[in-house]
Amino acid sequence: MPKVKINDTEIEVPAGTNMIEAAKLAGVEIPHYCYHPHLSVAGNCRMCMCESVTPRGSVLEIACNMQAREGLAIRTDTDQVKAVRKSVMEFLLVNHPLDCPICDQSGECRLQDYYMDHGQYDSRGLEPKVSKHKRQDIGDHIVLDAERCVQCSRCERFGDEVTGTGDLRLMNRGDHTEIGMFPGTRLEHDYQGNLADICPVGALTSKDFRFERRVWYLRETAGLCTGCATGCNIQVCHQDGEVFRYLPRRNDDVNKSWICDPGRDLHKRVGSLERILRARVDGSPCTTAQAELATRIRAAGNRVGFVLGTQASLEANWALIQLARGNCPEARFFWVSGNDGDAIEKSDHLLMDIDKNANTAGVQLLAEWVGNVGDTDALREADLALLIVLEDDIVSRLNGGALPELAYFGSRENATSAQASLVIPVTHPAEMDATYVNRQGRVQRNRRATNPLGEAAPAYAALEKLGTALGKAPGTGLPVATFLSLARAVPRLAGLDYKVLGNTGRLLAPPVAEAK
Amino acid sequence: MALPKPNKTLTLTESSYIVEVLKGMALTMSHVIKNLLNQDFRTIEYPDVRKPMTARYRGAHRLLLRPDGGIKCVACMCCPTVCPANCITIVAGENPDDPAEKFPVSFDIDMLRCIYCGFCVEACPKDAIRMDTKIYEINAYNRQDMVHSKAYMVNLMDGLKPEAGTAYHVDKTLAPAGYTAEAPVRP
Amino acid sequence: MSEFWTDFLIVIARCVFSVAFVMNIVPLLIWGERKGAAYIQDRPGPNRAPIDLPNPLDVPRLLGAVMAGQPLVYKPIVSLRAAGLIHTLTDVVKLAFKEDVTPDHVEKFYWFIAPVIAMTISLCTFAVVPFGDQLLGVHLQVSDLDGGLLFVLALTSLGVYGIMLAGWSSNNKFSLLGGLRSSAQMVSYELSMGLAAVVVFLMAGSVSLSKIVEMQQQPLDLGFIAIPAMNWTALSPFGFLAFLLFWVSAFAETNRTPFDLPEGEAELVGGYHTEYSSFRFALFFMAEYANMIVASAVTATLFFGGYAVPFLDGATIRANADVILAVLGFGAVPAFTTFAVIAFKRQTRPFYQVLAAEDPRRNEPKFWTGLWLGAAAAHGGLGVLGLMGGLAALSTWASLPELGGDLVAAVLHVSSLGAKVLIGCWIMIWVRWTVPRMRYDQLMNLGWKYMLPVALVNVFLAAGWIILRHELFA
Repeated sequence: MPKVKINDTEIEVPAGTNMIEAAKLAGVEIPHYCYHPHLSVAGNCRMCMCESVTPRGSVLEIACNMQAREGLAIRTDTDQVKAVRKSVMEFLLVNHPLDCPICDQSGECRLQDYYMDHGQYDSRGLEPKVSKHKRQDIGDHIVLDAERCVQCSRCERFGDEVTGTGDLRLMNRGDHTEIGMFPGTRLEHDYQGNLADICPVGALTSKDFRFERRVWYLRETAGLCTGCATGCNIQVCHQDGEVFRYLPRRNDDVNKSWICDPGRDLHKRVGSLERILRARVDGSPCTTAQAELATRIRAAGNRVGFVLGTQASLEANWALIQLARGNCPEARFFWVSGNDGDAIEKSDHLLMDIDKNANTAGVQLLAEWVGNVGDTDALREADLALLIVLEDDIVSRLNGGALPELAYFGSRENATSAQASLVIPVTHPAEMDATYVNRQGRVQRNRRATNPLGEAAPAYAALEKLGTALGKAPGTGLPVATFLSLARAVPRLAGLDYKVLGNTGRLLAPPVAEAK
Repeated sequence: MALPKPNKTLTLTESSYIVEVLKGMALTMSHVIKNLLNQDFRTIEYPDVRKPMTARYRGAHRLLLRPDGGIKCVACMCCPTVCPANCITIVAGENPDDPAEKFPVSFDIDMLRCIYCGFCVEACPKDAIRMDTKIYEINAYNRQDMVHSKAYMVNLMDGLKPEAGTAYHVDKTLAPAGYTAEAPVRP
Repeated sequence: MSEFWTDFLIVIARCVFSVAFVMNIVPLLIWGERKGAAYIQDRPGPNRAPIDLPNPLDVPRLLGAVMAGQPLVYKPIVSLRAAGLIHTLTDVVKLAFKEDVTPDHVEKFYWFIAPVIAMTISLCTFAVVPFGDQLLGVHLQVSDLDGGLLFVLALTSLGVYGIMLAGWSSNNKFSLLGGLRSSAQMVSYELSMGLAAVVVFLMAGSVSLSKIVEMQQQPLDLGFIAIPAMNWTALSPFGFLAFLLFWVSAFAETNRTPFDLPEGEAELVGGYHTEYSSFRFALFFMAEYANMIVASAVTATLFFGGYAVPFLDGATIRANADVILAVLGFGAVPAFTTFAVIAFKRQTRPFYQVLAAEDPRRNEPKFWTGLWLGAAAAHGGLGVLGLMGGLAALSTWASLPELGGDLVAAVLHVSSLGAKVLIGCWIMIWVRWTVPRMRYDQLMNLGWKYMLPVALVNVFLAAGWIILRHELFA
C-alpha cells in the first residue's frame, strides 16, 4: 500500500484512495461541498483545495481529485490554503440568501459550519443578490430553493448515477446558474429523501421534516430500518422521546449512504396512533394479561403453538424458543412467510427488497437450529388450542382459514391483533436494543433511541415476564445477556457479541451444508 | 472557647458604651426630627406612584409586527435555544402566502420560568422580540395565565402610553416585509 | 351600700384601671415602634390601612341595607389612615383570626400556659405602681404593699418562666436555646437591678412604692433654692448612677434590643416563640410591650417621681384646680390649631398630587384639619368653662368639697405617669433602632464584670453619703 503524507502525518492507504478520505484517516478534515464518497468526483466547489508538495514546489490542487499514490504529500494548513478557503467561502456566499432563520438546513449546514471554521470575513457585497426561484414543489418528499444552492451538482450526479433518472439539472450561466427540474416534470423515484441529505446547503430540504424541529435539538442514535430484508443502517433523530426523522447511516456493504423513501417514512410508526399501548384480554384492557396468558397456556396443555416472528429481532425469537422449550416441551414451532397487511409492497434493484420482513434470515437461522419448524401448511393442519404469535401479522399472511385462539405480541394494530384474544404490547425497534439478520446474512445491531410508549416492553422482556408467570423464565430480560446466550447456543453466531457487531454488523458464514 | 480578638483597643469612654450609645442615639433622633418635619422620604408610594423605568429595563416580552402587519418572528428557534430557563415554546408552521415561509403557529413564554436575562432579545435575528415594555407587574391568578401567548405579546402595548423620554418605538429602518438581499439592520 | 361592697367595687375598679392603663398603651407602642423605626430609617412607615367613611347623607340608606342584611357597599368620601394607627387595629384582627397551629411535638400543658404566664406576670407587676395619691381618700394604687419593690423584683424573676417554659415545651432546638439564653440573661441582670434599687430604698427609707413617690414629691433642696416637688432620685448623683444601672438591666429583663438574644432571629428563627402562631403569639408580643410599659412605670416611680407632676405637689394642685384646668384648656387651643395647620399643609405633599380626583384619600387632610379646628374651638369656647362649672356643681351637689380638686389631681397624676411611661418606652424603641444586638459573651461580660461591681460600689457609696449627710446636716 502506498504511503502518503498529509501535513506532517504519514499514513498508508490503499492505492487510489481519494485524498479527502485519506486525510480523514489521518485525522485531518478537508472541507468540501461537491465531493461525496458514493458519487463521482465533480471538483467544482473548490473548497477542498490544498497544497500538493511536488519537486517543483507547492501547487494548489483539489484534494477530491487526487488519488493516493506512493510519495504523495499534501498540506492543508498553510496560509495559502487558508486564504483560498476563505475566498471560496466568500464566492459561494456572494449570492446566498440570509435564510438561516427559516432554513431547515441550519444547524447541519456546511455553509454555516465552514463559514465559522474557514470564512469569518467581513461582507464586501454591494450589489443586490441574484434572486432565483424559491420554494419549488419538485416532488413528494422534496422542496427546492434554488437561491440557496451552491451549484455543487451532488443532486445532479445522484440522479445520474444512483437512481438513473437524471431529473435535476443545473442551467444558465455565471451567477445565474440555477438548479431546477425540466418543465412539467417532478421527482418520481423512491430515493428523493437522499437528495435532502446529500445537499450540503438548504437548497433541497425534506418536505416531511419541514419546520418540524431545529436539528440542533435532535439526538441521533444508530438504528436499523426494519422496513424490509435489506436492513439499511439509519440514524434515528429524536428529541424528548419523539422520533422526528430517519437519516441514512453510511454502511458501504449494505446501503452505502442511501435509504428509500418508504423506509424513511417508517419513523411515523414509532409514535403513530396504530401503536398498541395497553395489554388486552378479549378486547378489553387488562393489567394482568401476562398471568391470564400463562393460565391459558397451561389450560391448552400440549396443544400450544409458537409462531416465530420474521418482524421480530433475534433476541425476541430466541426468547420465544427458550420460553417454549422451558415451559411447554411438546409445543410446536411455526414460521409464516409472506408480508404483513400494512407492508408497502415495492421493490427494486437498489435497496428495496420484496421481502418486507427485517429478520427473515434470522428466523431461518434459528429454525435450522431448532429443527422441525412447521410452515404455513403445517400451521393450517395442526390441531391447536392456542397459538402464540410474535409480531408477524399472520392473519393477513394466511389470508383466511380457521385459526385457533391467538395470543399476539405486537407493536401495532393489524388483522392479527384484531383477531387475537390476548394482545401484549411490545416496542417498536426504535425503542429497544436488538439484532437482526438481513438478506445478505449480516447480523446488525439496532440501538434503543427512545423510551417505550405506554406499557410496551421489548418482546424479549415481555416474554421473560410471561416465562416468570409460567414458572420457568427464559432468562432474556436484558438484550446483552440474551444475545450472548443466543451466540453461545447457535453455532453460526459463535463468537459474536454486541461489541463485535459494532456499527456495521458482521456477515455470517454460510451454513455448513451450503459451504460444503 | 477562644474569643475573637477586638480589632482595636478601645478607650475608656468607648468601652463604657454609654457615650457611644448616646452618640448613636443622637444620630437616629436627628433623623426622626428631620423626617417628622420634612416628611420627605425616598420611599415610592408604589401603587399610586411608580418608578420610571430606565430605557434598558427588561420587562415583559412583546412580539413585534412588520409594517405590513405580519409578525416579524420566523420561528427560527434561536430564542428557545439560548434561553437558559427553557421557558420559550414555539411551534413553527408554514405560511403559504408569505415570502417569509415560516412563522410561529404558537409562541408561548412561561413567565414563571423566565429569568429576564434578555438572551432571547439578543439572539433574535429578526428583532421580533423585545423586552422594552417596562411592564414589571407580571402576575396572574393561576399558572396557565402566566404563560404569555403570541396574541398576548403582540398586543401587549395596546392602550399603554409611552413614558416621556423613554418611549418605545417601532423601528422603521428594519427590513421590510418579506425577503431582502441585505441583512436586517440591527438597532 | 355596705362598706364591704364599696371596698370590693373600689378594688375591682383599681384592678380594671391598671390593666386598662397597660393594655391601652400596648397598641400605641406597637404603632410607635413601627413608625419610630421607619423615621429613624428614613421611611414613611405604616400609612396604608384605611377606614373608609361614607357620605353622611348616605348613612340612612346604609343602615337600611344593614338591617335588611344586604352587603354594605358604598362609595367613601374620606379615607382615614391616621398616620398608620389603623394598622394596629388590622394587626389585632389578623392575629385573632389567623389559624392557631399547635404542633404535634410540643409539651401541650406547658406550651399552652407559657404565653399566659408571660402576659399575667407583666400585668401583675403593675399592681404595686401608684398612679395617683388619692381620690376622696381612696389610694390610687391596686395594692400599696409594704414590700412593693420586692414584689416587683419577685415578679420580674417569675417572668422568666413564661419564656423558659415556652422555649422548653416547644420541643425545638431554636426555642430551647432562646429559653436558655433568656433565663441566663434575666438571672444575671436581676442582681444589678436589685442593687440599683437598693440605693432608692436607702434614700427613701422605705420599700413601699407610694412612700418612695411621696419622698420624691418633696422639694429639691439645692441649698440656695428649693425646687418644689422635684426631689427625684435620679437628680442625685448616686441615684442617677443607680438609674442608669436599673434602666440597662430593665432592657435585659424585658428582652429588648440590644439584649434581645432570646429571639435573635438571625440565629434562632423566632427564639422561644418560634412554634407559636395566632393569638398565642400575640400574647407574647403584647407581653413584650406590657413589660416595656411596666419597666418604664417602675423606673419612673423609682427615679422620676412616679405620678408626681414636676413643680406641683398634690396640695398645690388641689388648691389651684381651677387655674390649672383653665390653663390646660385654653393652652390646648394654639396646640390644636397648630395641628390643624400641619394637617392642612399635608395636602401639598407630592403623594396627594398623583392621586385621582375622586380618590377618598385626597380628603383626609381636610378631615383632620376640621377635626383639630373643632377641638380647638371646643376648648376655646365654652367647653372648658362648662367643665369647670360642672365640676364645681358636682362638688356642691355631692357635698364633697374636695371632689373637684381631687379629680383634677387624679387626672394630672395619671397623665404625668402616662407621659413618663411613654417617654421611657420611646427611649426603649429609640435604643432598639439605634444599637445593634450584643454578642452573648459581651452581654454576660457587661452584666457580671461591669454592672454588678459598679452597682455594689454604688450602694456602699450611696449609703456612706446618706449617713454622712445625716451626720453633718441633721
